[in-house]
Amino acid sequence: MKCEEIEELLPDFLAGRLNSDRAVAVEEHIAQCAQCGEEVEVWKKLALLPQEQPSPALRARFQSMLESYQEGRWEKASLAAERKKFLGLGDILQWLRTPSLSAAWACVLLVAGFLGGRYIDRDTSTSENAKKLSEVQAELHKTSQLVAISLLQQQSPNERLKGVDWSTRVSPDPQILDALEHTLRYDTSVDVRLAALDALGRYGHQPDVSRALVDSLGTQESPLVQIALIDVLVDLHETSAIGPLKRLQHESGVNPAVSQHADWGIKRLS
Amino acid sequence: MRSDDGRNVTDKTLNNPMSDEELMSQVRSGVGEMLGLLFERYQTPLFNFYLKLTGDRAASEDLVQEVFFRILKYRQSYRVETPFRAWMYQIARNARLDHLRRRKPETSWEPEMSPSVTPTDTAQQAQEAVLLHRALMRMPEEKREVLVLSRFQDLKYEEIAQLLGCETGTVKTRVHRALQELREIFHELQGSGPRAKGSEGAGFRPGSGSVQ
Repeated sequence: MKCEEIEELLPDFLAGRLNSDRAVAVEEHIAQCAQCGEEVEVWKKLALLPQEQPSPALRARFQSMLESYQEGRWEKASLAAERKKFLGLGDILQWLRTPSLSAAWACVLLVAGFLGGRYIDRDTSTSENAKKLSEVQAELHKTSQLVAISLLQQQSPNERLKGVDWSTRVSPDPQILDALEHTLRYDTSVDVRLAALDALGRYGHQPDVSRALVDSLGTQESPLVQIALIDVLVDLHETSAIGPLKRLQHESGVNPAVSQHADWGIKRLS
Repeated sequence: MRSDDGRNVTDKTLNNPMSDEELMSQVRSGVGEMLGLLFERYQTPLFNFYLKLTGDRAASEDLVQEVFFRILKYRQSYRVETPFRAWMYQIARNARLDHLRRRKPETSWEPEMSPSVTPTDTAQQAQEAVLLHRALMRMPEEKREVLVLSRFQDLKYEEIAQLLGCETGTVKTRVHRALQELREIFHELQGSGPRAKGSEGAGFRPGSGSVQ
């Protein structure tokens, strides 16, 4: 048999789909012809490439997606049970922190938007539908918060900035505020700290937040952040900042512009 | 000689005798839970399909996720009692094409993306696996795809033909040409690196073209 003839038979031979006569003919040819023999060898050797396993995060992501799909469609009872079983914060955070965060988030938005749209389309005047709509909204809200928190934990300052931005789109929840306070205190990027300060300033009327802002007067080292912080505290009329401002003003090595600004702040607050 | 790794059957799916098609029909009619079983059956085959095409684990996982998202999204377009796998791989290919379109400039193969090797492999086999992987990654995507589909995904030529929209005979020709090219690249790589002893066919030299 010639190579041309073998060529036609080889794929079926490799797939084990030749009848025995033809298979024998191919085998005879292979034994003599180096090139065809090599091809069969390479095909066999492909078995050396192992079957790899995807990471467990893939399953978590899939389940999140399925969950968001089911939440909109299923009966409320089974839904609540599923959600309880499922909404492990860790799972979702892990999912959100994967490199494909944006794609995954897009999936959630798509599904949520789709479901939300369906409910709006229908007659929302009935209390049942209004209830469902508010459920979808609550879920979306919760997910937005998770996105914000997980973005705040990203490696890249840009991502963290996005996280701060996200946090301002949702109504503040203690977890978000904690994350922002942590960012203001410990983030390595001045830009991110400034953005976090800006976001926190909006919630400065909350005692916890204002306390955190006053406290951070003693820890911030960047003149830019210090000055912005003084502005925020003055805007909030935060009189409890006077003491820390005085200490800051007389701290050794403090930037003269900061010291001057602190002085201005003290006068405004007194 | 067909590869035995086409399906990953977990205990969960073993205990469930429902066919892919039955499961998908359920998904289609709104029982989303059944998609979980299909996911268990196909996450690994699909992951390996993409991994062998792209050499990129993260992108492969993204694509698998995308496939199941699309299955859910387009579940109504599944025609009941038609082969599920063909339909799924159709979606998988489209997802890959869309992915390529979105990020054109990147070249996909990475030398450091060598396959993991099981401890039982001999050193020679391990080395050959690395070279084969690299050879596969050097092939044009089209040829690589047809080879991966036929060798690793447990698909019949007829199914691949349906998938690629061509004749079965064309698929066979493509598989053969792809295999020829793989063999050539593999030998080039073997020639340039440290040579594995005793594994070559007698007297073959890359590009000699002595036959035909």
